[in-house]
Amino acid sequence: MTLTRRSALALPALALFPTAALAAPAPAFSLKDADGVTRTLAEFRGKVVVMEWINEGCPYVKKHYQGNMQATQKAALADGAVWLSVCSSAPGQQGHVDGAGAKRFIADKGASPTAFLLDPTGVAGKAWGAKTTPHMYIVDKAGELVYQGGIDDKPTANVADIAGATNYVKAALADLKAGRPVKVAFSKPYGCAVKYA
Amino acid sequence: MSRLLAVLLGLFALLGPIPAAAAPVDTGHLEAELVAQERGAVPGGTVYVALRQKIDKGWHTYWRNPGDSGEPTTITWTLPAGWQAGDIVWPTPARMPIGPLVNYGYSGEVLLPVPIQVPVTAEVGSTATLKADVTFLVCELTCIPEYATLTLAVPVVADAPGADPAWGGKVAATLAAAPRAAGLAAVYAVQDDTVRLAVTGGPLKGADLSRAYFFPFDATVLDHAGPQPIERGADGLTLSLPAGVAVSAGQTPAIIAGVLSLGDRAFEVSATAGTIPAGALGGGTLPPAPVEDHGPTAAIGAAIGLPLALVFAFLGGLILNLMPCVFPVLSMKAAALARHAHDTRAARMQGIAYLLGVLVTFLALAGVLIALKAAGQAIGWGFQLQSPAMVAALALVMLLVALNLSGVFEAGLSLQGAGGGATSRGGLTGSFLTGVLAVVVAAPCTAPFMASAMGFALTQDAWLSLPVFAALGLGLAAPFVLLSFAPGLLRRMPRPGPWMETLRHVLAFPMYAAVAWLVWVLAQQTGPMGLALALSAGVLAAFAAWLWGLAQRRPPAPVARGLAAVLAVAVIALTGLLAMESPATSTAAAEGAGEAAEVPSEPWSPDRVAALRAEGRPVFVNFTAAWCVTCQVNERTSLSTKAVADALTRNNAVYLKADWTRRDAVIAGALTEHGRAGVPLYLVYGADGSAPVILPQLLTEGMVAEALDKAAAR
Repeated sequence: MTLTRRSALALPALALFPTAALAAPAPAFSLKDADGVTRTLAEFRGKVVVMEWINEGCPYVKKHYQGNMQATQKAALADGAVWLSVCSSAPGQQGHVDGAGAKRFIADKGASPTAFLLDPTGVAGKAWGAKTTPHMYIVDKAGELVYQGGIDDKPTANVADIAGATNYVKAALADLKAGRPVKVAFSKPYGCAVKYA
Repeated sequence: MSRLLAVLLGLFALLGPIPAAAAPVDTGHLEAELVAQERGAVPGGTVYVALRQKIDKGWHTYWRNPGDSGEPTTITWTLPAGWQAGDIVWPTPARMPIGPLVNYGYSGEVLLPVPIQVPVTAEVGSTATLKADVTFLVCELTCIPEYATLTLAVPVVADAPGADPAWGGKVAATLAAAPRAAGLAAVYAVQDDTVRLAVTGGPLKGADLSRAYFFPFDATVLDHAGPQPIERGADGLTLSLPAGVAVSAGQTPAIIAGVLSLGDRAFEVSATAGTIPAGALGGGTLPPAPVEDHGPTAAIGAAIGLPLALVFAFLGGLILNLMPCVFPVLSMKAAALARHAHDTRAARMQGIAYLLGVLVTFLALAGVLIALKAAGQAIGWGFQLQSPAMVAALALVMLLVALNLSGVFEAGLSLQGAGGGATSRGGLTGSFLTGVLAVVVAAPCTAPFMASAMGFALTQDAWLSLPVFAALGLGLAAPFVLLSFAPGLLRRMPRPGPWMETLRHVLAFPMYAAVAWLVWVLAQQTGPMGLALALSAGVLAAFAAWLWGLAQRRPPAPVARGLAAVLAVAVIALTGLLAMESPATSTAAAEGAGEAAEVPSEPWSPDRVAALRAEGRPVFVNFTAAWCVTCQVNERTSLSTKAVADALTRNNAVYLKADWTRRDAVIAGALTEHGRAGVPLYLVYGADGSAPVILPQLLTEGMVAEALDKAAAR
């Protein structure tokens, strides 16, 4: 069964917080990055894009930023992918950052996202259906959403669990690189709730 | 201290061995410990050991599927050789909305029982140490992972060890309330972005399905935050579940399993793909079940429901003493008590008579209410004030009491002087009637504490609800009964004398105020014509009372007495006419409620709510009644304000009013759906169609405005 976003929108009463449909165009966005420059999904057409929802105060984000997220990021960038970290924490909520705060986080953690996008109104987060931090999405070169869910299969806040976990983002990127369909196209996102207003 | 220890040790010796838990571990935002259902473990048997969490107020932990975010509690056991731990028996969770997301979890106190198999080789007389490494994710708005290592020493005994004195009952109650497979048949069918789940079987036939909700075990099958509209059928129900990512991706699992909760019961169901059976359809649709208050009772269930309800009922009764509708009756009682201040026996008898009056009336009202409910009438607490004739009768009774206090006439001999057998007997009847009157006028003052107790009482079986009403009566009567039994306090009251006449005259005025209030209520119910009838009856009653008083002062005065009797009949006839008076139209009633025009509202109906929600607009619903004082106070202080008007406009929200001043089955049904037996009830529906938030019964304008802002953001 194939679902399109149109059918999701045709039932507004039921699909109030739609999960972005798979194998369908990824929802567009237009957000300011840490430098105040407006970025859109369209500008990355032709490249694989990894979207990462982030909240620096969340224990699950902290778990993965002890090295795992940076390593996943570096590997993705090395393969020519674009990495976008998105913060949908509303002002006053945990993890909310401005441009300077985002840059400080990147420097502190030795992270290297292509851009750190600020979504304080949550408009992009809600359009994508981002539920947790982290919540990962991968968009292929044609702009189709090919993966969404957790970063791996061990939904805990314990760093020790990273060692034995299957990293779904790495796996999906490897499938794309090899020209195979993405084997695990979704998983349960886990972590803290995105701190929408 | 050492003596206390000795006593405790002695007690333990009497009870025999019991599992010894290390002290509860405070992990930061919750307290955790292991507790056992039984006092020991039998070789070859199974003992249930529960992880008890006492979670800080405002924080919560998670169910096996935590919903949109979060993480379930995990237990890693380290057990002696041969001992085996099973899976956690998860109690039915509560839905916890957070922004546009929904989590499944627990707040307050929750027990997670785990069956532990004891090997046949376990040595009787030995003690087994069970160790559990536990991880919790505890969240308020932010989340904190917490860890604890807990131990429990369990004695191995030869045969039936009996229940653990502290925890046996609670573990048993948790196990009894846990969702279980009940032989229900379940089938699902995917249609576009909806998973239709049909469940049929004996336990669902004729059950109350209005609170039905399906908690899936798998987090990717359903959209947890979406509503689950209910369709009834002869053999069960069909829920329309919004699809999750797995279903949208066309990878619906072969089996969709989870817990079907009906609010008070829950079942484990496991559905396979198929055709929705006819027996699960065709009985009409119900709105999605509202999110329920997830207080500490949610997880433990009915086991602590009754004691808590009793405590709330007693407190509610106490608070009623201070309510404006009860105060006049109390003032009369105070006058009577002061008269008997120096005759302790008479004072006690009066106290008991008053208590009896209160209890008998409460239980009688409860009995009538239960009987009417059993007969299928949709009514709730305060129903006795929904009939205009009843309100008019009450107003006239209050008027007569006030006139009596003013000294216009005397009721028999009872109020003349203290002491003497006949007098105290007359006083007893008076005290009993005072109790009756107190209850009847108290009903509209459903104090905040009483609402949940009343809601509990009226949704339970009769044998459970009667104690709650009795507790309410005890609370209402308590202050005066205590006073009448405390000679010390009574002796402090001044000696009877001419001052008492003055006090009586002063206390008459709260009664006149009560009359004025009841007449105002009546005006809401019947309009100007009814008001005219009631006021005429009042004037005639006053005239009759004065004539009667005249006759008392100058006996025998047959003419005055006769005229008084004729007038009394006229008063009764006028009151009877009121019963036939056609009700005011709802618009007239709404205008009469004295709306400060600045906050426009529409009449409530389930259809209107559904339509507005379909438009994606936030909705504020006010369930109110003219005779409900709390409702009126809220409307004046919190709802008819600029802040609320602005919040409504700002959020494109709609204010709906459900007026329960007169009996209305649809409104009564809506109240029941939200676990309430009476008004006020305030609901705020979010713009996203999620289940409504219930606001507290005492509102502030800021609270309403904030709730509307949040609703628009949802």
